[in-house]
Amino acid sequence: MIGWLLALPALGVMGLAFLWPLAMLFRISLNRTTETGAMEVAVTGESYTRLLGDEFTWELIGNTLGLSGTSAAIAVAMALPVALMIRAASPRWRGLLALLAIAPLLVSGTARLVGWMAILGDQGMINVVLRWVGLTDAPIRMINNWTGVRVGLMESLMPYAVLVLLAGLGRLDSRLEEAAATLGANRFRTFIRVTLPLAAPALLAAWLLTLVLGISAFITPRLMGGGRVFVLATEIYNLALESVDWPAAAAMAMLLLGGLILLMLLRGCVGWLQGKRA
Amino acid sequence: MLGVAGLTATAWPAAAQSGAQVTLMTYSGIFQEQYTAGVIEPFQAASGHRVQYFAPGTSAQMLGTLRAQKADPQVDVVIMDTTTAALACAEGLVEKITPAEMPVLNQIDAQARTAGGGCGPGVTFDHLVMIYDTKAINPAPTRFMDMANPALRGRVSVSAPPNIQGLVLTAILAHANGGDWRNLRNAIPGLKEIAANAQTFDPKPDGATMILNDQIAFATGWNARSQLYSLQSQGRIGVVLPQEGTAFQINTINIVAGSRNAAAARAFMAHALSAEAQKAFTERLFYGPTNTTAQISPEARARTAQSAEFNARVIPLDWVEMQRVRENWNQRWRREVITAQQ
Repeated sequence: MIGWLLALPALGVMGLAFLWPLAMLFRISLNRTTETGAMEVAVTGESYTRLLGDEFTWELIGNTLGLSGTSAAIAVAMALPVALMIRAASPRWRGLLALLAIAPLLVSGTARLVGWMAILGDQGMINVVLRWVGLTDAPIRMINNWTGVRVGLMESLMPYAVLVLLAGLGRLDSRLEEAAATLGANRFRTFIRVTLPLAAPALLAAWLLTLVLGISAFITPRLMGGGRVFVLATEIYNLALESVDWPAAAAMAMLLLGGLILLMLLRGCVGWLQGKRA
Repeated sequence: MLGVAGLTATAWPAAAQSGAQVTLMTYSGIFQEQYTAGVIEPFQAASGHRVQYFAPGTSAQMLGTLRAQKADPQVDVVIMDTTTAALACAEGLVEKITPAEMPVLNQIDAQARTAGGGCGPGVTFDHLVMIYDTKAINPAPTRFMDMANPALRGRVSVSAPPNIQGLVLTAILAHANGGDWRNLRNAIPGLKEIAANAQTFDPKPDGATMILNDQIAFATGWNARSQLYSLQSQGRIGVVLPQEGTAFQINTINIVAGSRNAAAARAFMAHALSAEAQKAFTERLFYGPTNTTAQISPEARARTAQSAEFNARVIPLDWVEMQRVRENWNQRWRREVITAQQ
């Protein structure tokens, strides 16, 4: 009872700052957009049926899942060696290395993307080097397309993947790896047959978390996509601030939110299963 | 100054003759700087009213503010683009104004009068132009289709719909290739050719900056800001009103429905539409005046589409109709134009 009372202020703030706007958003999604674009107060599911009946929406969902799924997978794959290295480091260095791994989070996401533009752009570092060594005559397009968005998203997701993996790998019993080595397994075989299977739940948890973050990412596809990358988050922006179709924008935001809640539940299930196995 | 005082004294209702605060919601950046100096400060000096400037961002964000404050408006006057203003008018967020209430409306260009969907009239004209890097492109281009030159691969920026620039470019090319701006089929082939050269369909932060950073050589832009960028870059940015034509993008001025300072707000609106204020703003930022009696200097007029040389190239665009076709154009761009080159 006292616990609930203590939680009341936080719940109140949550209700005001999160649930109430969410309820307003849902209410707006039930309004109607007239042929001329004006918003008419109504209680109708027209925006939902229009969106779900439009094959472009499904294309957007596919794009979003494909982009975030692959970016999250690459981020986790690249974060794993980093996490393993930090785990293997002496306790004296572990804290510093972990801090370095998540240091990108200390820099504004927009600033990091501007940095990527300078590296990957037509006049950027990579293209200049490629031309200088004679490998290409014309610049290779690496921004303002899906490639640029994947690179930017993967880089922004990696620190989160490292954090989750560090937490998961921290619970691994290193004696099992030592036992494998004692029985004659080399380091690669030990990694493949022992470490990786034991790390699988942590890898899945890291992938699910970064997948969720990737699905809701807006700045990266907006800045690095050059108007060629269409995902749910950028479409919500377009509907709200370019087409000024608020009911459709709100309906799409609710659909996205529903999908994210499902994924978070899935992640919760994975966590619960991990706990049960442990 | 005396002219402002003389005109506005006759235009304002008696209730506006005392000091009050008017909250104006409109664009930020260069617009805010020039509008404050050219329009707001003379109004404050002549009327005794104070104007509080509020710049939330785009017209869509302004519409959002109006919708959110519908029950208790905190804004008195809003300057926003014609499509968004038409929505605000249809939703009853801004007032309808008649010439009987505000005689200066009789001096306003007919197209600007109808721009706000029956509510506030157009207060500035702007139009789509092509901008280019004068350092890299010689001779100077004359047509939008010059952006389709295969030598310019990756050196062009085109804003795609739903951005309004993309819609206007589509309408202009459709009009140039068949006389009817609504006929998207006539625009698609040309758009595909231009798109094949596109570096981006969403220039960040804008086309002019990308040109100055050597990222691209061509972009589309709005005339007023482009003219200023041209001056500020000492001619590096070239501005062309292309042979295919252009279309007006009109900003309208509106009194917010339920404004707490309606009388002072109307006084400000009357001033903003007056010949003196329009002349001052056009000569500062090259937005075309909507008041037909404004005496603009020949130098400034030459940088707007109101000059005789360019006026004939303005195509008749119906923004209400544009709102209807917008979503279809948006989808066709995504499926046929943007995918022309990956």
